[in-house]
Amino acid sequence: MNVTARDQEGNDKWEVQLRKGCLELAILAALWDGRLYGLEILRRLESDSDLVISEGTVYPLLSRLKSLGFLESEWVESDGGHPRKYYCLTPAGKRRAQEMVGIWSKFSSSMGRLLRPLTKGK
Amino acid sequence: MALAQLEKIESYLGKLRARLRGVGSEEVKDIIEELRSHILEKSTVNGQLGARDVDATIAGLGNPEDLASEYMTDAALARAEVSHSPIQILASLFRWASLSVAGFFVLIGSLVGYFLGAAFILPAVLKPVHPQSAGLWSSNDSSGDLKLSLRLGFGNAPASGHDVLGWWIVPIGQVVGFGLVMLTTRFAIWCVRLYRKSRRRREHNHLIRTETT
Repeated sequence: MNVTARDQEGNDKWEVQLRKGCLELAILAALWDGRLYGLEILRRLESDSDLVISEGTVYPLLSRLKSLGFLESEWVESDGGHPRKYYCLTPAGKRRAQEMVGIWSKFSSSMGRLLRPLTKGK
Repeated sequence: MALAQLEKIESYLGKLRARLRGVGSEEVKDIIEELRSHILEKSTVNGQLGARDVDATIAGLGNPEDLASEYMTDAALARAEVSHSPIQILASLFRWASLSVAGFFVLIGSLVGYFLGAAFILPAVLKPVHPQSAGLWSSNDSSGDLKLSLRLGFGNAPASGHDVLGWWIVPIGQVVGFGLVMLTTRFAIWCVRLYRKSRRRREHNHLIRTETT
């Protein structure tokens, strides 16, 4: 493997890790305005944040967030003939989202200060 | 055509259901129903179930083994990783063991470790209650060979036996016993960390593949 290919792979890994780290907050944020079902959450993440995450990652995570008490769910019949499982935030989920947003804002503003010299002239 | 696609979906969900051992039946029903609904909705274009769409959606979910382990072990193993309670660790290991051979061997190793730890601790604790018969005893069996046994002190002391440690069993039994429990806990947590790290690596590669396709 040459140096450029290795650098590219390193960048890919870093970006994937970064996206994965944001996934829990992204799901809680997607549900902030109201209930959504799995596929809607995936589409919301894709359209609003460029977070293209596989279904195999999102559904188990939704299940984990529910078991931790951050989400609750209900089945609703759809026009398509198959029921949909809608998720919404519990009060604990809302608190968790706000805590995470606080940490995110602090982190992103301090990183912004650190990165300012690198972005000058771009 | 649509029938073949429905069969493909049911076959995938059947494999997943078979691997969700140890999860409550209501939860399994919920997971399967949710994923069926997802596959059907995502694969239906203009009211038609497309063969390629079904394949792509199933591929996006990943193979049934990985998906089941994602549902089953993550929360349980995450709890084990931060826990120092043997009961919590064993509960998580039972779940892991139901999924993989590696988990089974770690569970067996941990059970042996905890059992040996308890075998030393109990005689140490029971010595003051049964001073005549609890402790580490040596005796000759019927073929004349020397036999060592840790006795809890219930029943009579062996007729031709000798209490090897006497009251020393109290400190020695506790140090060795609690040492074994601690080592077993560390071993189990180390295995869980190693396993979760390798799973994260696999998941990461899966994500990279998904993003590039």
